[in-house]
Amino acid sequence: MLSLLLLIPFLGAFALLLLPSHPPPGRMRAIAITTLALQLLWSLRVLLAFDPHQGGMQLQDSFSWVPMIGLDYRLGIDGLSLPLVLMNGALTLVSAVCTRDISQRPRIYFALLLLISGAVNGAFLAENLLLFFLFYELELIPLWLLISIWGGSERAYAATKFLIFTAISGVLILGAFLGLALLTGTVDFSLTPILSERLSMGSQLVLLVSLLIGFGIKIPLVPFHTWLPDAHTQASTPVSVLLAGVLLKLGTYGLLRFCLGLFPEAWALVAPWLAIWAAVSVLYGSLAAIVQRDMKRMVAYSSVGHMGMILLAAAAATPVSLLGAVFQMVSHGLISALLFLLVGIVYRKTGTRDLEVLRGLLNPERGLPFTGTLMILGVMASAGLPGMAGFISEFLVFRGSIGLFPLATLLCMVGSGLTAVYFLLLVNRAYFGRMAITPPSEDPSADARLDIRLSGVALRETLPALGISLAVVGLGLIPAGLGWLSETTATAMAELPALLQAASHGGLG
Amino acid sequence: MPYSLPLTIQLVWLIPLYGFSGMVLSLPWASGWIKRNGPRPAAYLNLLLTLVAVLHGSLIIREVLALGPQHLEIPWFQAGDLDLRIGFDLSLTNLAALELVTFMSLLCQVFALGYLDKEWSLARFYALVGFFEGAMAGVVLSSNLFMSYFLLEMLTLSTYLLVGFWYAQPLVVTAARDAFLTKRVGDVLLLMALVALSSWAGSLEFSDLYRWVDTAQLAPLPATLLGLGLIAGPMGKCAQFPMHLWLDEAMEGPNPASILRNSAVVTCGALVLLKLMPLLRLSPVAIQVLVVVGTISALGGALVAIAQVDLKRTFSYGTTSYLGLVFLAIALQKPLLALLLLFAHGLAKALLFMSVGSVIATTNCQDLTELGGLGSRMPATTTGFVVAAAGLTGVLPLGCFWCFGLMVDSFRAGHPLLAGVVLLTNALTAFNLVRVFRKVFLGNPHPKTRRSPEVNWLMALPMVSLAVLVLLAPLVIDRIDPFLAIPSFSSSSTLLVVGSGLVGVLGGVLVQLDAFWSRSLFRPLGMLQDLLAYDFYTERIYKATIVAFVAGLARLTNSVDRDLVNGLVNRIGSASLASAEGLKLGVSGQLQSYVLTLVAAIIMLLASLSWLKG
Amino acid sequence: MPVIPALLTHAGGRPSVETLEARLLAGQTLLADTSEHVVEVVDVLNSYGVVLDAYSNNLIFQAEQQFLNPFPVFRFLDGDLSPAKIWRHLNGDRINFEYAEYCMKAMLWHGTGGLDAYLDSEPFARNCAAIIRHKTRRDPLLALLHPLFRNFLPEAIRAAATTHALGQFWRVMSDLFLDLARAEAAGTVRTIAEVVAFIKAGLVKAAANPITYGVQLGGERFWVLPPEAGLTFLVDVAVPYVEAVFLRGMPFLGTVSFNAQAQQISPDQGQFTYGALYADPLPTMGAGIPPSLLMQDMYRHLPERLHALYRQRSRGEGDVRVKICMSFQKSMFCVTNAAIDGTFPHALGTAVPAEQAANRTYARAWAERLAVARTDCLDPFGG
Repeated sequence: MLSLLLLIPFLGAFALLLLPSHPPPGRMRAIAITTLALQLLWSLRVLLAFDPHQGGMQLQDSFSWVPMIGLDYRLGIDGLSLPLVLMNGALTLVSAVCTRDISQRPRIYFALLLLISGAVNGAFLAENLLLFFLFYELELIPLWLLISIWGGSERAYAATKFLIFTAISGVLILGAFLGLALLTGTVDFSLTPILSERLSMGSQLVLLVSLLIGFGIKIPLVPFHTWLPDAHTQASTPVSVLLAGVLLKLGTYGLLRFCLGLFPEAWALVAPWLAIWAAVSVLYGSLAAIVQRDMKRMVAYSSVGHMGMILLAAAAATPVSLLGAVFQMVSHGLISALLFLLVGIVYRKTGTRDLEVLRGLLNPERGLPFTGTLMILGVMASAGLPGMAGFISEFLVFRGSIGLFPLATLLCMVGSGLTAVYFLLLVNRAYFGRMAITPPSEDPSADARLDIRLSGVALRETLPALGISLAVVGLGLIPAGLGWLSETTATAMAELPALLQAASHGGLG
Repeated sequence: MPYSLPLTIQLVWLIPLYGFSGMVLSLPWASGWIKRNGPRPAAYLNLLLTLVAVLHGSLIIREVLALGPQHLEIPWFQAGDLDLRIGFDLSLTNLAALELVTFMSLLCQVFALGYLDKEWSLARFYALVGFFEGAMAGVVLSSNLFMSYFLLEMLTLSTYLLVGFWYAQPLVVTAARDAFLTKRVGDVLLLMALVALSSWAGSLEFSDLYRWVDTAQLAPLPATLLGLGLIAGPMGKCAQFPMHLWLDEAMEGPNPASILRNSAVVTCGALVLLKLMPLLRLSPVAIQVLVVVGTISALGGALVAIAQVDLKRTFSYGTTSYLGLVFLAIALQKPLLALLLLFAHGLAKALLFMSVGSVIATTNCQDLTELGGLGSRMPATTTGFVVAAAGLTGVLPLGCFWCFGLMVDSFRAGHPLLAGVVLLTNALTAFNLVRVFRKVFLGNPHPKTRRSPEVNWLMALPMVSLAVLVLLAPLVIDRIDPFLAIPSFSSSSTLLVVGSGLVGVLGGVLVQLDAFWSRSLFRPLGMLQDLLAYDFYTERIYKATIVAFVAGLARLTNSVDRDLVNGLVNRIGSASLASAEGLKLGVSGQLQSYVLTLVAAIIMLLASLSWLKG
Repeated sequence: MPVIPALLTHAGGRPSVETLEARLLAGQTLLADTSEHVVEVVDVLNSYGVVLDAYSNNLIFQAEQQFLNPFPVFRFLDGDLSPAKIWRHLNGDRINFEYAEYCMKAMLWHGTGGLDAYLDSEPFARNCAAIIRHKTRRDPLLALLHPLFRNFLPEAIRAAATTHALGQFWRVMSDLFLDLARAEAAGTVRTIAEVVAFIKAGLVKAAANPITYGVQLGGERFWVLPPEAGLTFLVDVAVPYVEAVFLRGMPFLGTVSFNAQAQQISPDQGQFTYGALYADPLPTMGAGIPPSLLMQDMYRHLPERLHALYRQRSRGEGDVRVKICMSFQKSMFCVTNAAIDGTFPHALGTAVPAEQAANRTYARAWAERLAVARTDCLDPFGG
């Protein structure tokens, strides 16, 4: 059942590449959208089959692939991966839908998009370490190509930076996986924490730290984050949506699944340091966002801040905080995708994202009032205003973590408060005031010459953003659905250290 | 939930939804989807829903009078040891506050129909007011801290949007931002306290929290921090020093919203504090802070008000001042006094702002130096102002007179200084009201007030109705809640209150009016005038301290990010890829170096691991 | 960060005081003479004429039928209380008469010219006293209020008088603008110069029309503005209207802060530049911009020819009301142009040096006021 989640996009990509003639870009886009819609439908089908009361992996698909090196094809899904698979389905579809005027090599573009979607599904579903790594790497190259071919003017720099960072990330992860096998002397790469039990704490720590840095680059956490603002500013809107909404989640997913999941004991040891790391990351990202002039860069830095909270939640590893981590992944995915979509519309219409230049876009007739309204909604959601997805996620994270790490939690809350500072700067600068393209000067007669003529925004252009906005509000008002899906898994993960301890004590006694 | 309850009570969850659905129903007009027709239907729909809310509330009051207080709960979110619920506490005080909020919203919406008659974005305004009203109705009925917080934040958002209503006006841009951020600071601190409470006490129901307090064993530091966090949110909402700045700036928003903000919204904030009052026992420091903040706000607000030349601002500082008194009452654990004052102040202040609104609508001016002589021309406006002034001060036996009498009576024995604060606030407020009245309504007409016909009936009618209500306030209080019945207080307190009020009135009558806009040549006095006129330079102090601190930190972070972290990365990057040229290699070149690095790194890592193992 | 493409920005020139003065003295039109401008001006004035007709009827109805009514709930219905009309009114499917009231308030508040002077005169006070005596005898509310608030009823009567006078003024303007549209359709008006001349002729023709206002109270007729007052169309109403609405205007809540400490609004109303000739068309339909109501009314009565032209420009239907506002501003410059032409102290062709000097002074005064107005809409590519 789960294999179809990989097969559908991969087959779609193949179909696109093997299409005989040169069909118009519109046809390519239609094929991609159909494929992705099918994939989303199938994800919903998986959702129906899913049993939320069961904490472990379910709906497993497996066969032995290359047993010699321990590479098994094993897929499974639980309350952690299911929301992410659903989000992947939805957001890849959104980014395909909002890819419009693509003139350059549409065939490869859409094929890469599909490839990424399938690979991400594979990574979320893999139950074998090597299989995960395979998919993790498989998603890199297409994304790198998407940035370096369809990116902005400095795309070469940004894409290379992205490649170097993620390559190091990949190396560290693979190294840790291989190391685990080497040290335990098995070629079993299945996901089981019992393995690490056989290791000394020193080796566990080395492996864990290597994984932490590996995933920390991907999330990204300070100081491994510098690739992200560059990648975002150079990537096109759909790619940014994909990157922020889905691909960063691979990092946090890895954090929860492989760091916490494989090394629960070592994890408990480093958790206080991780909480501090999280607080630093959150504050750093938020502070850096305040001074950004480029809207997209600002949103990118806000990602650094918000993703840091997942590390805090993971460090605390209580049932509530882990549920909060799942919530935060979903809500950050939705909200940052929304913000990138809206910034994309502004960029397409005005040709700039510079906050020193844009003014008064809320103008009802000649500005972008609807985009602006959604922007205010997205910004407020990101700032953690209740009634939208951001609030309940952050509340769960904070509530779950404060008992263990009060100081780090309070600092993260300060960081969350700073979100309002920079995003209000964004909204008030770009959307309030009289519409103009330069800051109003002292001379009142001057601004008349700077009237900006923007073309209108058609409803279909804002439809994806509207859909995501509704999801953000929906999740904020009725979070019980997602809680129901993921709670059992979160609780099971939180109980892992205790279980292990009991098991090892039992073994000794 | 007992199912035998009457339907009106079972459906209490609809009350906040009336306001919210008003917002949703306004969307077709507010979004411009309906292009040919005017936006007024959205206003009518909102008015209708608010009326339904008022009626539903009064029906519930009838039932509750018969059945006693009720409590209703709906589960919302449950995970692990966390249980978040939507809870309604139907006590008579909560319901009285609900009626105040919804009725005020109704009057203000009728008033807005007149005040904003030439406003094309009327639908958006009503949508926001609907949102505002829904959140307020929820806050006053809420039975748990989580829901209160949830809705308080929505109030923050709607304040931002309402202040930002005229988004193209340059001062609105900063006013809306500051209103949001100041309140948000309070909210985040409250959230910290809320999260801590949730983790320590488990349940967030107020009744459970009260029980928890009795047995809670907290170290002094956490207890103090908790207390401070809990009062920070209401401090922001009630515009208390030093978080009062936003209310001044919020006066850039439309006047009907100012009416609600100065009466109903601050009341909501204070009600939340009132519900938190039993928890403050944990922290004597928080109570001390409450007393200090209340005193500074009461006196500082009243003094700053006197130095203002702006018609709206002078009374918005008065709000800070009165809420300071409410804070004092709460700090001294006198909830009934606080409630009484909130009610009396809310009604009278709303009336005062309606009167101010009609002055502005008629004269296009809110500068006191340019107003004058309106008294003989505008009967409703003048009457409204006089009644509101009487209701706000302790001279005639209207709402605030009783509150002040009771306060003085109960403070005198234990806290004579605080009784003095009440009396001084009364005197200063009376002084300010008389000063403004003389300036605006008496004297000769100025160019901008030369032609000033009375406002249209949509503004006059709510004003007159509210004036009647303010006159009847003592009786209304008596009827709504026998618990709040007005007992008599000692005649010496009566004398003190009336005396202080009269001193203020007399001062206001005798003072030279131009003393307020011409700076005294006597330097110290001139400096004092400036100090008060510019609100103790609070804005500048903020700019020099916290804003500068955050901005500096942000710039520092950014330069660290750009120069240090990124610089290092670039250097490492160019080193690892042989040279800076590596960054410019073609696609295939990059792939090769990528694979090469990958392999090399894995080998190194494995080598180090086997060394570790060995 | 990419630079904004040149086509996204717009540069409109602003003629200097000297240029404007020279144009006025030479009898040239302010607005550039292009065929598109003719279409814009004539059609926008056409729809304005339709709207003014409704405004005028309603103002006169209010002044006569809703005189001193404390609760004029149905004042916008022109006396038609059929359910269908009430439904359309409630549904917002109507002319925004609030804008007419807004203009009346602007006129009353700025208070310039002959009408305003008469409202402070002794005969007016006598008329008021008679009306009030009659009214207070029947109306207990007014009988109670009048002794307490002596200026309340006189002020209300002044407002009613201004309402009626504005109604009469707009009656003439509405007919004139509709005539202009007919003349253009008939081919007798083809250029901007002819448009200005047509309006000027209309104004001159109506200049001496008497402005009178009387009310019927309980079968008795009372004069508020009697014929003896000698108020006439051009000097006593049209000129104050131009001063109050075209030039001074009132500050918009949506663009100017009323905060006394910010001091954004001049204490001297004579210095105001918030009128139609100065207004920024861009925020039209935004919050706190009262003329949006007028633009909406004109939008609902827009001639198809102009609508089609708008559909081809910039955002098409999306920003049509901003474009109406821009055309409206152009047409108001034409009307102002006609009014200036018609009120020169001496004929423009005069050879007498003293008369020439007087004309020059007059033109200079206008040019100085217009130089800071939105004259960037006047050149062929403006707006």
